Amino acid sequence: MIAITFLIPIAVGIALVFLILFLGAARSGQFDDLDDPAERILHDD
Amino acid sequence: MAWSIIQGAGLERYYAERTELPPRPEPLRERWDSVEPERMPDGTCQLRMAVDGLRCASCVWVTESVLVRTEGIESATVSYATGRATVRWDPDRIGLDTVAGRISSLGYRPRILGTEARRDDALLTRLGVAAFAAANVMMFSAAIYAGWLGTMEVAYVELFRWASLVLATPVALYSASPFFEGAWTGLRHRVLHMDVPIALAVAVLYAQGVVGTLVGFDTYLDSLTMLVTLLLAGRVLESGGRRRAAEAAVTLAATVPATARRIVGDTLEVVASESLLPGDRIAVGAGEDLPADGVVVAGRGSLQRALLTGESAPVVVEEGDEVWAGTVLLDGSVTVDVSVAVEGTVIQQMAEQLRQAADRGTRPSSSDRLAPWFTGVTLAVAAVTFSIWLPLAGGAKALATTVAVLIVACPCALALAKPLTAAAGLGAAARRGLLFRSADALLETARVDVVALDKTGTVTEGAVEIVSASDHDVRVAAGLERYSRHPIAIAIIREAIARGLALPAATDVREEAGTGISGRVDGTPWRLRSGGADVVVLEGQDGYRGLIRIGDRVRDDSRRAVGALRALGAYVALLSGDDAEPTGRIAEAIGASEWWADQSPAEKARRIESWRQEGRMVLLAGDGMNDGPALAAADIGVAMGTGAASSIMTADAVLGVGSIQPLAAGVRVSRVCRDAVRANQIRSVVYNVLAVSAAAAGWVNPLVAAVLMPLSSAMVLAGAGRVERRVRALERA
Repeated sequence: MIAITFLIPIAVGIALVFLILFLGAARSGQFDDLDDPAERILHDD
Repeated sequence: MAWSIIQGAGLERYYAERTELPPRPEPLRERWDSVEPERMPDGTCQLRMAVDGLRCASCVWVTESVLVRTEGIESATVSYATGRATVRWDPDRIGLDTVAGRISSLGYRPRILGTEARRDDALLTRLGVAAFAAANVMMFSAAIYAGWLGTMEVAYVELFRWASLVLATPVALYSASPFFEGAWTGLRHRVLHMDVPIALAVAVLYAQGVVGTLVGFDTYLDSLTMLVTLLLAGRVLESGGRRRAAEAAVTLAATVPATARRIVGDTLEVVASESLLPGDRIAVGAGEDLPADGVVVAGRGSLQRALLTGESAPVVVEEGDEVWAGTVLLDGSVTVDVSVAVEGTVIQQMAEQLRQAADRGTRPSSSDRLAPWFTGVTLAVAAVTFSIWLPLAGGAKALATTVAVLIVACPCALALAKPLTAAAGLGAAARRGLLFRSADALLETARVDVVALDKTGTVTEGAVEIVSASDHDVRVAAGLERYSRHPIAIAIIREAIARGLALPAATDVREEAGTGISGRVDGTPWRLRSGGADVVVLEGQDGYRGLIRIGDRVRDDSRRAVGALRALGAYVALLSGDDAEPTGRIAEAIGASEWWADQSPAEKARRIESWRQEGRMVLLAGDGMNDGPALAAADIGVAMGTGAASSIMTADAVLGVGSIQPLAAGVRVSRVCRDAVRANQIRSVVYNVLAVSAAAAGWVNPLVAAVLMPLSSAMVLAGAGRVERRVRALERA
């Protein structure tokens, strides 16, 4: 059961990596505008 | 800094009266130096801007007061309903960036009209943190629940509980804070909306979790993290891009040319269009936009009025005729006496109407109707549970059971029913060619019972075409018009090509502005002239007279689309700025229930308003800028994706293809969604009644809660997933 002491940090660490990736994507504006790109084809300019 | 502003402005009273904590100051992100404010005659500047983050009437009051007391600002009005501010200032004493900076120093976000409101970054961060914690806490909880089967050392159970608490803490204190803020605001205003029961459940869950971890009994922290994650996901879906109609007015005014050529004595001078005054005389050449409203005093030409009336066929103007800013002189040249100053022009009035219609405010939403009722019942049941269990089993058991009641009563499914279903519906409608701007617009469409259609460009192609003419006449006319860019000429040449006629060579071609064209074809002289709104006359030798009838072509699928709408029970009306004859003919061709001809943009808007006053729900589909006021007046305004940019911005929905065919599909999707939302709400209420009963009976432990709570959300999700299939089933029927 001693394995638990490092398995938990590893599991949390992996999840943390994904959290950081997600936050990085959110900060860089990837989720800023989910609607306009689809409609852009309708506009002339 | 903030205190000095407040004291300087004499706003101590604000702190006694405000009902809401203002948000923190935000850095300015807009490029204010790129904005052209309106110059007023007395030398001041005026600008309408959006202000985001206004959350109570007190916010408006403080913003106005601070602005008015700022050196250099002449006047400021802020509207809570539309989130718009109109500020007038002296450009010599203060800059626009200072004005904007003043607003943002109060914690609100000034924004240039026409730019997109920023999505709340923090909401995504909150969601990310909650999802991260939920995934891990569920893992720990699974271990704890597995421990019930065999023997698990107490030390490990403790370890998992502590790990869960550590991860759940940021979720409860950070991720869930919008629900606490919302609940607090609601309680302050004595409104029990959805955030109140949610905040209550989250608070109880977390408090129970802290006590449970310290004392050593089972906690519900896995339910807490998952709940917050699901609710935030719903909120992110709901907060999707919403643009406001008022911003279209800016585009409309921009179509008037910036400069005009004023005739002074026997020379011309270039002046700003805005500086033109009644009595000024201006020169307008072929291909130019009219800079002002006025009367033609010399010259002639064809005028394209599409922007004002929506009709693409040009009209001939000559001495004595009225012309308007925003129209285009296709050929010829005219001298115009300006009749009104810029503010009085028809196009400015139209822009103003658009603004007023858009300022009407947001429509009330039905989503929070169930919440007060829900909260009341939950609290009552909790109180009853506690008072029954207290004498039966003592304080500890009574408290644990009451906590379980409050936890399972969380209206998670109820709160998710609308955003999840609407997200599925928006996708289903988009695949059918109708793009809705918001979830509310989608759900409102279900109740539409009057469908008003603009004629030109909506049910018709919006371009002139030949209705009837002999091959001979088309051939000769096409020869004459070969090099002309006139819309009628283009239609004649297109017709000749469609009929497989070889275009003859014409010689001595002379274009007479506004009247017609003459020249020799096959050696004989011909003259082509306008014979009224929808007839072109071809005159030849020996009194030969051929008639080419022109008109606007009805889109191939308009009739089918109108039939589908009527089959859905809608009353279909055709509104047109055109004459009675073509309007009636097209109304007949598409099978409309009723038609109205000679409708100005303002009359269209009034007609829609009168329907609405009869309690009808009106959907209007239109394409031109002239439909802007009507689009804003309608409950649901639908713009043609091929139409003017301003109409697209004003609309609640946009038709992606050049056809009104998707309208019926959109109504169908909307009805499916409305039914799905209702079904989901009923399901979640039934679920809650059952779950709360079980909890009150003392049957709920953390494992049961962890299974039951996502079950209700999964039910809602499944309901949303069925939207597409139901729409298909309805389409087959």
